[in-house]
Formats: sequence, C-alpha cells, structure tokens
Amino acid sequence: MLEGLFRTTVFRLSLLYAVVFSLVAASALGVLHWATKSELRDQNDARLRLETEVLLERYPDQRIPALLETVRQQNEQDGRNRVFFYRVLGPLERRLISGALADIPAGPGPGPARTYADMRLGDALGLEPGTLPYDVPVRVLVTDLRGGYRLVVGRDVADQRVVLDHTFQVALVATGVTFLLALLGGGLMGMDVLRRIQGVRRAADDIMAGDLSRRLAVGTRDDEFDQLSVRLNAMLERIEQLMTGLREVTDNVAHDLRSPLTRMRNRLEVTLLEARDQSEYRQVMSDTVEDADQLIRTFNALLAIARAEAGVGLEDSGEVDLAALTEEVAELYEGVAEDKSISLDTRIEPGLRVRGNRQLLAQALTNLLDNAFKYSPTGGRVELRAAADPQGPVLSVSDTGPGIPEAERERVQQRFVRLESSRSTPGSGLGLSLVKAVARLHQATLTLTDAGPGLRAALRFPPPQLSRMR
Amino acid sequence: MKILVIEDDRDAAAFLSKGLSESGHSVDLAYDGEDGLHLASTGSYDVLIVDRMLPCRDGLSVIRALRGTEDRTPALVLSALGEVDDRVTGLAAGGDDYLVKPYAFAELLARLDALVRRSQDAPVENQVRVGDLELDRLTRRVTRGGQRIHLQPREFRLLEYLMRHTGQVVTRTMLLENVWDYHFDPQTNVIDVQISRLRSKIDKDFDRPLLHTVRGAGYRLAELD
Repeated sequence: MLEGLFRTTVFRLSLLYAVVFSLVAASALGVLHWATKSELRDQNDARLRLETEVLLERYPDQRIPALLETVRQQNEQDGRNRVFFYRVLGPLERRLISGALADIPAGPGPGPARTYADMRLGDALGLEPGTLPYDVPVRVLVTDLRGGYRLVVGRDVADQRVVLDHTFQVALVATGVTFLLALLGGGLMGMDVLRRIQGVRRAADDIMAGDLSRRLAVGTRDDEFDQLSVRLNAMLERIEQLMTGLREVTDNVAHDLRSPLTRMRNRLEVTLLEARDQSEYRQVMSDTVEDADQLIRTFNALLAIARAEAGVGLEDSGEVDLAALTEEVAELYEGVAEDKSISLDTRIEPGLRVRGNRQLLAQALTNLLDNAFKYSPTGGRVELRAAADPQGPVLSVSDTGPGIPEAERERVQQRFVRLESSRSTPGSGLGLSLVKAVARLHQATLTLTDAGPGLRAALRFPPPQLSRMR
Repeated sequence: MKILVIEDDRDAAAFLSKGLSESGHSVDLAYDGEDGLHLASTGSYDVLIVDRMLPCRDGLSVIRALRGTEDRTPALVLSALGEVDDRVTGLAAGGDDYLVKPYAFAELLARLDALVRRSQDAPVENQVRVGDLELDRLTRRVTRGGQRIHLQPREFRLLEYLMRHTGQVVTRTMLLENVWDYHFDPQTNVIDVQISRLRSKIDKDFDRPLLHTVRGAGYRLAELD
C-alpha cells in the first residue's frame, strides 16, 4: 500500500505542492526577518547619531578634555542597565589598539566623518579578551574629530539579536512544519484515492473472474469518483445484459433447434427402416428440406437479433427516410391485404427522418406487418401509421386480431415466446424480439397496447436532432 | 456451361459437383485457393463458384488476383459470413454475386444462370420484347399484343427485371434483393403476391401465359410452346 502510495499521482502532486508551499512560506518569513533586522538597525543608527550630535553640540569647539570628562560621567551614570556607552580615542591610543575598532578607516575629512559598524563590546571598549561582557554584540558610530581624536558611541544590541535569532528559528521551524503537513495531507489524500481505486480494481478482478453481477461501490459524496462508478456500473449492467442475452440465446438455440432437428432425424431414420417406394422417399425428402429451411430461418432470425442486440449494423447506418420506407413496405403488403381480404389503411406523414440501418428498419416493420396480417381475421383491418410526434417519429401497426393480454405483453418480446393461443399458427416466436432489438439499436422504444380489439405495436424514435444509433 | 468450383469442404464440393452435373453443367473442382487460381487462370470457365474461406489463399484474394489480370469470368462468392458489410467486401473484391451458406441449390443455379447471361448479354436495350409483350425503358410503356398495360412503378421494375432475365429462373430472394433492395426474407409470401398481381395484369386476358412459376425455385418469364 505504501509503495503504491508513492506512485499515485495525488501523492506526487502533493509532494510538489509541499515543496512549493514551503518555499513560499520560507521566502515570506525570510523577507519578514530581513525587514525587521534592517528596521532595527536603522533605528539604532538614528539613536547613535542623535547621541553623537548631542555630545558634539555640547562641545562645538571640540575641547577634548571637556569631552573626555563628559564621556566619563556618562559612562558612569546609568550603571548596569545602561544601553549606550561612549569612548574617546586619542591619536596615540588609536595606534596602540588592534581589532575591529582599529580597522575602521579614517574619514575623508575635513569635518566630522561618521562610520557605523557592528562589533563586539570588548573590541569597542578595549576589554581584556575572556571577560564576561566581551562578546556582547554592539552597534557603534565612530566619528572622527579634529586632531586625530575619535568619538565612539555604541549601543548594546544583545536583546535585539536574541529576538531576531528567535524569529529566524521560528521561521525555519514553521517552514519545516508546513512541508511536513503538506506531505502528510498529500499522503492521506493519496491513500484515500488509492483505497478507492483499489476498490475498483478488486471489483474488476472479480468481474473478470466471472462474477458479472459484481458492481463498483458508490459512495455518498457524489464526487467525480462516485459519478465515474455510476457510469461504469451502467456499463457493467449493459455487459451483463448482453452476456445474459447470449446465454439465453444459447439455451434457446439448444432448446428450440433440438426438437426440430430430432424430428428431422427421426423421420429419416424411420424411413430408412424398411424399403419404401419412390414417391414415399420423395415425400420424406421434400418434408425434410422444408424442415431444414425452417431451421435455417430460425437460425438466421436468432443471428439477426443477436447482432442487432450487440450493436452490429452501426457501420451500415445512414439517414433513413422513414416515410419513404413505410410507403415502400406498405406497397409490398398491399397485395397480401387484398389476398386475405383485410383492409390495409396507411397514413404516412412526409419527411420523417432518423439515423439508422435501412435494412434492419425495413425488417422490423415487415415483422410487425407479418404479425398483423397473420393474426387479423378475414375482413379485418390493419392500420399502418408513420407520424411526426413532437417527441419524435412514430411508426405503428394496429390489427384487429385477438390482441395480447396485458400481462403477456412484456413476455412476448422475448425470444421464442409464443402465446398458447397462437400455437396452431406458424411462426418462430422471434419476430417481436427482432423488432425490439432493432428498436433498441436505434434508441427507439417498442410499446404494445390494446387497439380494442387487436394489438397496436408502436416504435417511437427519438427526435431527429437526438437520433443516433447506439 | 463450364463451371469451376473452389471449395475446401470436400463433401460440399462433391455435392455441388453432382448437383451441377445433373443440371447439365460440366464441373471442375479445386480444394484450395492456389489450385483454384491456377485452374481459373486458364480462362476456360463460364463461371466460378468460390468459397470465401480457403486454405493457401482466401477466396476474395483469388478473385482479386484474377481481376488483376483482366480476367472477367463471372464469380459467385459462397460464404458463411452473411452480413451486409461482408457482402459489400465480397462484391468489392470483384465478386459478381454473393450467396450465404446455407443456401438452396435452386437459388445457386438461378444465380449462376443470371451471372453467365449477364456477362454474355449485349448492352441493355431500351426496348425489350418477350413474345408479344413489349417494354420500353425510356417511355416506361408496357404493351402486350398492342394493348397498353398500366403498371405501378414497382410492378414496372419487377417486370423489367424479369424481362432482363427472360427464360431464366429468378428466385424470390433475387427479386427481393434486386427489385426491392431488401436483404432479408419477410415471413409472409409478399413476393408471390406481387407476382400474382403482375401476372393478372400481363397474362390474365391472354391465351398464352408468359410468367411461369417454377416449383421449388421461383419464377420464369418466357414464351413456352
């Protein structure tokens, strides 16, 4: 799981975000630190300048002994808590000392030249190295006076340094924490995604292992994962239906082709039992050919249904003028109607177009008409309608036959289902199944209703702009 | 006529050969694509019957190879693949007709006959005549014995097809495919009804019938003695 986590896109993304966020946080805190530091220094420098000016103003003629005296007094004044210290270096002293203070170059002169510097207290005051306050950090302002004298005004900045160092550490820690939190968040999110994907993977494994009824878990969040799962489940549903359909076909083929095959075989076997005369052989053979033809028809019908259900026929689709097609089929059946003394009443609205397969649509319509003429009694009436409904084109065929009881209307659309009452009429029980499969392929619906008396079968197509084959 | 059957199923080939011989044709057999192509390229056959799936070289490739050498011998493709697109590829490869297994032998005979006649026929004439029945393609006028016969557009096309195949058997499936462009068989005997309507128009008032039913096969338009 952990190894898998590092490979997830989510985790990699969150790692990237963690780095980016940490960099942003670090630079923000860095800028803050730097700004504080420079502000403090500016303030220190301002105070040092003020102190120096106050001292120098008091001695405009720069009498050094008086200045020395004042400096001594000032140094003694504040005791331990004092922040500022002062020192005057004579020309001789300047040559004797070494360290940071001695390194400050002389100003360009004439007039008081000022130099700011950071150093340690020990260097500024000339303390012995190793004494306690030696390392205290100070900020000094060195002013060059006349006669090689130098005035040093300094300020203890230890407290400020402590605060600055502290904020710097806080910034470092905050950056680190930001990084860790981002990483942790990414890890958790990655784990969550990984967990859900593994759910999908397990379901897929189960399905591939043969459990076609298995579905993906759909959570309550309705996020993109749930929506994807819902779509995938719909797809699985369709696959299961197709597989079930295939199994049904196999079962049906086994069941419904076995009996006529047995009949054929038995007839031939029995005929062979003893010598018969020529005409008997002829009769048996022509009966057998007829049986074989019936088998082939059933077989072809089954194949056509299976193909339509599997969506085969799409590659041969185009725009079909339903009105013209209906007209054509109606014309084909006019003679049949006349022969059977059934009136064929055709009403076709022009300009009904759908996208689809002309052959399959014609076959579906012929199947409906075949049924209508088969079950309508002599003197009956078959109505063929092609109408432009606001919801889309509708093809319907009504007859004046016995109709189908409401409870049976779903069932007769299945393969090989024939009503008890129609056992005596020829037929395979596949006609409506094919119509249904063709309807489905064209995103149309087949509805069977009572025509009072008789049956009305209607194919409702989607509106032209939505019409496309599945 | 002289027929070459290229079919790898030896039983089916033997059966075809027997049936065709008994129908008065002379038959050669080839059991794979290479042999078939070799025999066919001698150019001595009137028509070829080619199974689509063959060892060595498939049926469509045999036909393609023949067509590549300008050999126009009509070829009928036999196949277990029966969808419209299979038919289309079969015809695109240079096949002249396509028959799906299992088929009725009478259907095969009728189609072979139609193929051979078509390839031998002179260019289609505008005026055709069978006995005293005349049809003019341009004016769409049909007369028999000088009497004008009024036909519906579809009846005209049906008669035109029958007259183009005068003397030959045409099956119901051939009519459905060529006159209606339907590649499926309706359960109801729609074609028989259409034929009987046509017959009532062209034959009813005349002594000698021209449109005959051929039992177990289909129809034939001919002037019989």
